[in-house]
Amino acid sequence: MGKLAIIDTGTYYHHRVIHEDRFGHFFDQAIYIRDLCKTDLSDITTLIVPCRTDPAHLVAHRKLFADFLNDGKTVVAMGSTGPDKWLDDISWRFTPTNFWWWKEGGSLNLEIAEPEHSLFDYVKLADATWHHHGLLTPPAGATSLINANKAGSIFYDDRVTSPGRKIVTTLDPMYHHGNHFMPATSRFLDGFLPWLKSQ
Amino acid sequence: MGICLFINPIKGAGDDLPDIGSHAPNTAFVDQYDLDKTDLSQFAALILPAHIDQRFLGTRSDQITTFLDQGGTLVFNGHVAWPMLPELKPFVPLERQSLENLMIYRVNHHPVFDGVDCNDLTFKRGVAGFYARGSNPPPVDAIPLHVLGKEQLVCDWLYERPKGGRILMHSGNDLWMYIGSQNSTSRVVPQLCAWAGGE
Repeated sequence: MGKLAIIDTGTYYHHRVIHEDRFGHFFDQAIYIRDLCKTDLSDITTLIVPCRTDPAHLVAHRKLFADFLNDGKTVVAMGSTGPDKWLDDISWRFTPTNFWWWKEGGSLNLEIAEPEHSLFDYVKLADATWHHHGLLTPPAGATSLINANKAGSIFYDDRVTSPGRKIVTTLDPMYHHGNHFMPATSRFLDGFLPWLKSQ
Repeated sequence: MGICLFINPIKGAGDDLPDIGSHAPNTAFVDQYDLDKTDLSQFAALILPAHIDQRFLGTRSDQITTFLDQGGTLVFNGHVAWPMLPELKPFVPLERQSLENLMIYRVNHHPVFDGVDCNDLTFKRGVAGFYARGSNPPPVDAIPLHVLGKEQLVCDWLYERPKGGRILMHSGNDLWMYIGSQNSTSRVVPQLCAWAGGE
């Protein structure tokens, strides 16, 4: 099984995910963001960029991520990280975030786009449903797993635009779990992280 | 009035992080990683957002301690994960996040919260929990300002340091989330900047 690493930006919400009991054991290595450029990634097979990592701190590592993918490895880009700024072949667009659909009697209109995908052996759609930050247009040949409003993807799996794999989402579960806020986000991670480990 | 130095929150985090902008006359701004190049003696207050690299701040503890020793004001928002000063202890969440435990109660008056209704702090569009969900435990001689629910967890406190300076703690979202609010919480930001600026 490959090694799973996650970037740690030093925020309290990343601390709760990376260094506390519920999820900390999933990560083989936590890489402090300011140490990324001097970290040996040779035995890391999956690198997670957790939600709300400031893209300004990732742009400088654009080549590192490209090289990582060219080695056939996996980059996981979570929500609110501006992946279009530091990864190739990402199309993201801003949409106003609907925080209040559950209060106003509406719906996010999420749908599973690829029911046979192994992610859904681990994650239920209800546990991916809180809000999302913008929409993605998957590149040709990539697989959208969750669509919103028939207008775009909020989670896709791209094995085509590089020798490696890009898993890209506009969901921000680490931020909200780290805030002790929105139980669905914790349940999402209960499934998502074991799924990542299984890949 | 003295100038309040705000550390800029992270960028690219979606559309839900308000900027302090021009809502107070006595503000200045700096990016977090430029703190080591900043002469804090020209500022009355250092105001930390919840979205900050606490690991980096830990490397600036001598600089911040000197600033406090010289009479400066530190305002902390968020959960303490990496304590960077001896006065700060790791965040303790509510054991049970029920509505009654999320209610905010004022136990001592303070100019920052003058005229601010605790109900307006507790509820946002009828939902509780945005203000605070636990406590950064106060030093023994700190003055509690707001507590949470029946557990009486102290979420806001003021500590006048024996060596000089003062720390205003808010164990939750950035206090400037209330910019533009339509109720009594709109008083928080101007009152925060006036008090921290030494008015």
